[in-house]
Amino acid sequence: MEIQLREQDNVAVLTLSGRLDLASGATLKEHLKRLAEKNAVQVHLNLSEVEFINSSGLGALVSIMKEIRLQKGRLTLSNLASYVQEIFEITQLSHIFEIYSTENEALATYQAAAVR
Amino acid sequence: MNAVAENVGRLLVRLQSPDPEEREEAVHGLGSGAGDEAIAGLVLAMEDPDLGIREIAAEYLARIKGETTAQLLIRFLANDDIGTRNLASEVLVKLGSEAVPALIDNIECDDSDVRKFICDVLGLIGDSRAVEALTQRLWDENANVACSAAEALGQTGASQAIEALIMVARKTQDCVLPAIEALGKIGDPQALPYLYECLDSEDPMVVLMAIEATGQIGQVDSIEPLARYLNSSNRTTGEAAMAAIIAVSRHNNDRIDIDLPLDKFTDFLFDGIRNRDRAITDFTLARLSHWFGGKVITGLLDVIEYVEEDELKRITDLLVEAGPAVASPILSKLSHASPAHQGRLLDILAQFADETIAPELLTFAHHDDPEIRQKIAHILGSSGYAGAIKTLKALATDTNGHVRAAAYAALGWVCSEAEVDFIISGLEDKYSDVREAAVGALIIIGGPKVVAKLTADLYHDDTERQRLAVTALGWIGEEEVVNPLLKAINHPDAGVRKSAINSLVKIGDVPNVEPITLALSDENSGVRKAAVSALLSLRGVEAVREIVVLLDDSDVWVRYHTISSLGDLGRSELAEHIIPYLHDDLDIIKLAAAKALAQMGCRDAVPFLHELKDDKNRDLADVAEKALDSIGGRRK
Repeated sequence: MEIQLREQDNVAVLTLSGRLDLASGATLKEHLKRLAEKNAVQVHLNLSEVEFINSSGLGALVSIMKEIRLQKGRLTLSNLASYVQEIFEITQLSHIFEIYSTENEALATYQAAAVR
Repeated sequence: MNAVAENVGRLLVRLQSPDPEEREEAVHGLGSGAGDEAIAGLVLAMEDPDLGIREIAAEYLARIKGETTAQLLIRFLANDDIGTRNLASEVLVKLGSEAVPALIDNIECDDSDVRKFICDVLGLIGDSRAVEALTQRLWDENANVACSAAEALGQTGASQAIEALIMVARKTQDCVLPAIEALGKIGDPQALPYLYECLDSEDPMVVLMAIEATGQIGQVDSIEPLARYLNSSNRTTGEAAMAAIIAVSRHNNDRIDIDLPLDKFTDFLFDGIRNRDRAITDFTLARLSHWFGGKVITGLLDVIEYVEEDELKRITDLLVEAGPAVASPILSKLSHASPAHQGRLLDILAQFADETIAPELLTFAHHDDPEIRQKIAHILGSSGYAGAIKTLKALATDTNGHVRAAAYAALGWVCSEAEVDFIISGLEDKYSDVREAAVGALIIIGGPKVVAKLTADLYHDDTERQRLAVTALGWIGEEEVVNPLLKAINHPDAGVRKSAINSLVKIGDVPNVEPITLALSDENSGVRKAAVSALLSLRGVEAVREIVVLLDDSDVWVRYHTISSLGDLGRSELAEHIIPYLHDDLDIIKLAAAKALAQMGCRDAVPFLHELKDDKNRDLADVAEKALDSIGGRRK
């Protein structure tokens, strides 16, 4: 899996592509850990290029969400492919993750919050 | 005497009966009749000793309408009995515009009470024909009549009365307040200079009324004079000024941009939201993007119980965006809130609850309301708090199915393999949403123990368990599920076989496709179709040699699916397998072949497609034409 990282308006935006499984889930967690060390806890994951996600990949996302919440940060997801969307529905993770159709839509909510 | 008149005569006699039932029947008889005699009878019944009969008569009169009715009713405005007077007024209002001429005719009668009632009725009717008569009554010798006339002019909304209203307000002390109120109701900016004068009055009531009236007129220019009163030491005056500014803002579609000392009015604004005042609610919520602090958060958390769904969404979004800062105020309110309020507070908390917040919520797992228990299960799960597992397991045995479903889903978010045995028990629940939630939990937990349990479940006595198991194994998608799924391609149940093949496609990394190749000859057509798709997805063009045999399958839909799947590969060298099917006996197969050839871009198919484009089946001919367009084989 490839991970592209950029910062936009104090939000760490990670664009993932490929398969999110045990190995790539661990890599992703490592990325997020490094970001947290730099106090970057406003995180957006763009999953548009994620073609496959399995149990380990879901576990990694749940673990990341838990860590970010503990650090009083915020995690958003966007651009879920239909396959990913389906597994989020089945596991009801769609109820606990903040999911947006597009990256812009998600980032706009960070901006709105920053105004306050 | 004709028959109708004779009948009315009889009814009028019965109206004098000591028996109330007989009198009531007479009223019904008169009401269903027509003519002045019947109306006169009904008017007579307005003085019946029985209130019920008087009301029935009034109802008939209101339905019959007409000027005669109005003329006859006006005399009741002088009746000693207040009930009868009020009833007559109500009927006159219901008569509406038809009563106006008669009311105007009587507005100068000797009885000042009647003149007052007439003004009141004309105000409620709101007919512009009464403006002149009402304006004259502003100078009535009786102050009550003059005040009623002023109020009525306000209700009539007549701009032409503004001058007279201002004049009477200047000259007659009694009329000042009703005149100012009327000017506000009329809503014409012409009245503003006078109202601005009143803002400087020494009489606090005049100032209050002028503030309100200025707000009603709704001119943006009025904000400045109104804003002066926001800092009034008199709280009522300050709040009236804020209400007036809100009215102006609403009048201008909230397009006003002025710094207001909102902090001073926090209680007023949030009371307005609590009292479901639409103007205050809209105004306040629109300002929250720039006005947000501790006191506002507390105010919002208090009012979420009272707002409608759309406002709740706006408030919730704001509070969620404020993030964990609102957790502490929510927790302090939670225990004292009503269940409905608790539910809304928990919805907000759910967005950012973490391990530090979750322990505070454990006690709510015993709440009487199952909706609250369901929300608690959800929050405990999303918090990732491992200490909540015991509570979640208890909620998974709740008497309410929704609570159990929420608890099983939540267990998936917090549990490890250690709890798999417990979660597997959820697959035996009587409700499908609980079983599905348990499956979801097992998918997230994954791992060898879950895979082993689900593999065993593939051969469970219950077919539904088998199907849930194969689906779950597919979604788990780890390496260790591949072999159980390959074995499941020989499962006795066709649904399981098909799901196993589809799941292997999703996983993608399948070392041995032989069981799938064998499934091409499965007895079930759905399995054969799944095998075609799977082989093409996993091996691409290399699988063509195996699947072409299904182009002659006994099942038409397998043939259709195979042709379409080959078309999806978009390889022109495969066209030779498809072209013969342009001459199939079945149109549906010819149609699939034409579409596939278009996707393949095969020019060898052009002559055959030309034959088809004149086919009598229009669908087929259309597809052939589109295929020719796509391949570029149109004849010039």
